Amino acid sequence: MSKSNGNILEIKDLCVRVGTEEVLNHIDLEIPDGEVHALLGQNGSGKTSLMMAIMGFSEYEVTHGTILFQGKDITESDVCERARLGIALAQQRPPTIRGITLRDILAYVFRNEDNPEKKISGLAVSSRLELFLDRDINHGLSGGEIKRAELLQLLALSPIFSMMDEPDSGVDVEALSLMGELINRLFTSDPDHPVHRKAGLIITHSGSILRSFPIDKAHVMVNGQIGCSGNPTILMKHINNFGYDSCIRCMGAR
Amino acid sequence: MVLNDADREALTVTGVYLGSTVRSATIVVCDLAQVCLENNTRGFELMPISSALERYSWLREQYFFKALPADLDETVSRCAKEVDPLGFFLHVDKGVKIALPVQAAMYMKNEDIVQMIHNVIILEEDSELQLITGCLAGHEIKTGTHIAIEEQYIGKNARLVSTMVHAWGSEQFVYPHTGTVVEEGGRFESNYVSLRPAKHFVSNPQSWLIGKGASAKYLTVVLASPGSVIETGGTVYLNAEDTSAELAHRGVCTGGVMNQGGLLVGTASCKAHVDCAGMLLFCGEGGYIESVPGLRSMHPDARMSHEASIGKIAPEQVQYLMSKGMEEREAISMLIRGFLGTDVEGLGAELDGQIAKIVEVAGHGED
Repeated sequence: MSKSNGNILEIKDLCVRVGTEEVLNHIDLEIPDGEVHALLGQNGSGKTSLMMAIMGFSEYEVTHGTILFQGKDITESDVCERARLGIALAQQRPPTIRGITLRDILAYVFRNEDNPEKKISGLAVSSRLELFLDRDINHGLSGGEIKRAELLQLLALSPIFSMMDEPDSGVDVEALSLMGELINRLFTSDPDHPVHRKAGLIITHSGSILRSFPIDKAHVMVNGQIGCSGNPTILMKHINNFGYDSCIRCMGAR
Repeated sequence: MVLNDADREALTVTGVYLGSTVRSATIVVCDLAQVCLENNTRGFELMPISSALERYSWLREQYFFKALPADLDETVSRCAKEVDPLGFFLHVDKGVKIALPVQAAMYMKNEDIVQMIHNVIILEEDSELQLITGCLAGHEIKTGTHIAIEEQYIGKNARLVSTMVHAWGSEQFVYPHTGTVVEEGGRFESNYVSLRPAKHFVSNPQSWLIGKGASAKYLTVVLASPGSVIETGGTVYLNAEDTSAELAHRGVCTGGVMNQGGLLVGTASCKAHVDCAGMLLFCGEGGYIESVPGLRSMHPDARMSHEASIGKIAPEQVQYLMSKGMEEREAISMLIRGFLGTDVEGLGAELDGQIAKIVEVAGHGED
């Protein structure tokens, strides 16, 4: 439970650099416990960089500001520490790794559990990835299969804060319904009380995931900054009608 | 010479377990003597090569230096001059499929030994054998020279799976030479794993696929550490229709020199691939990996390919695994283990533990 004003995640005045390029520019973001937010924005606006910085990937160097998770300052924590605190990320383009299978990773995640094989096969069946368990991780998978493999790992990790980078891109209609089902399962903290959910952050371009999964709030990113935040349906509708150019103009006018 | 508990323990490092019920036969050469022979299985003969030469007059004439030329190089010539060679003779009868692996150990227990071995393995038509060979120095042993000749004859539709595990002293010189002749439909699979590198190791096993549909598959997994020079090759002659060969090298270098080679020669309609992959964790003083996979096609229907790659551990892969909750060292260990890909059939968990130690050594190199 949050120890910081009811927020599970608080980002204060965050600036991030990759190499010599500033990719995030004075970001402020608060996500209350139990809420799932969406990040919208053009390609290159900084959405993925924000997620990678929250996860702690070392290539994303924090030059200013802080990241608080459950009130704890994690700005200097490495990826493993953040993962063990309960933060997880489904990447859009995860690496292919020779000799390491999806089963290997899941076996690690379930290493202290009774009957890990049963848990692994159960998750693989529900994600329709049985045939990919023993292949090199992410090797030769379609876009949709990669999304499902990443989501399967989130389900195994059962984090308290999940991030997903474009879970709906490159996914066909039928698979999108399955993704929606799995995402709902990921964020469900109490099946008897669907309103009680785990927190998270989802990047979406098309907004199609919004139709199968309710989002509490959306943020529009422009040039490494959060332009505006508000109701996801209204923001998505506005962007569909007027494009991100209107957001850029709006930011420029401030 | 009698093997004590420490010797028995040393042998397990290479997958050789004395008195084990999961092996069909055992032969051990210790320094310059044959010390142990167990065979409780029918259908094949296992004996010291000296005994076989006495018993079978045809052995020298038909199988000595027929899979390898006696004048191949200086070390082979030196072995060829041995009147009373060390080593073993293994003969599997026609149609016999040995269920449990046969194990052999070439053990150098003392310093400064020059061990010269000559093994002959014959699999008659339709037979199958899994052979585990451990070649090693005692734990505290640093010096010595091991020269080995192994000639293997795989008959029609026979199958030999050979797993060779080495663990050497840091000042030792090791020159194994293997020649394999594979007849029609025969299959040869070789897994070579080096747990502790020698000062200088040179190996270029040669296979002749002489019958239609014969195949050879090599996986070589080696570690080069500071002060070691490791040269691994492999030459396969695909001399008959529908033959196939795969040559895969996986090397992790934490210093020292590693040369990965391999030459596939296609003289008939065949399919062959050679793949050299190196992971360079530390160069140390003048260390490097050099990969030179080679192809020689002498037939228009020979489909041949090669690839080579050398790199360090990719940081994005380490961090990807860390994002699943692994500590950095755990992630590196998993990556190296995955890279080496040593899913070697027939070896026990103890050997997995030894491989984990290599991974751990390499993991320290990343700090």
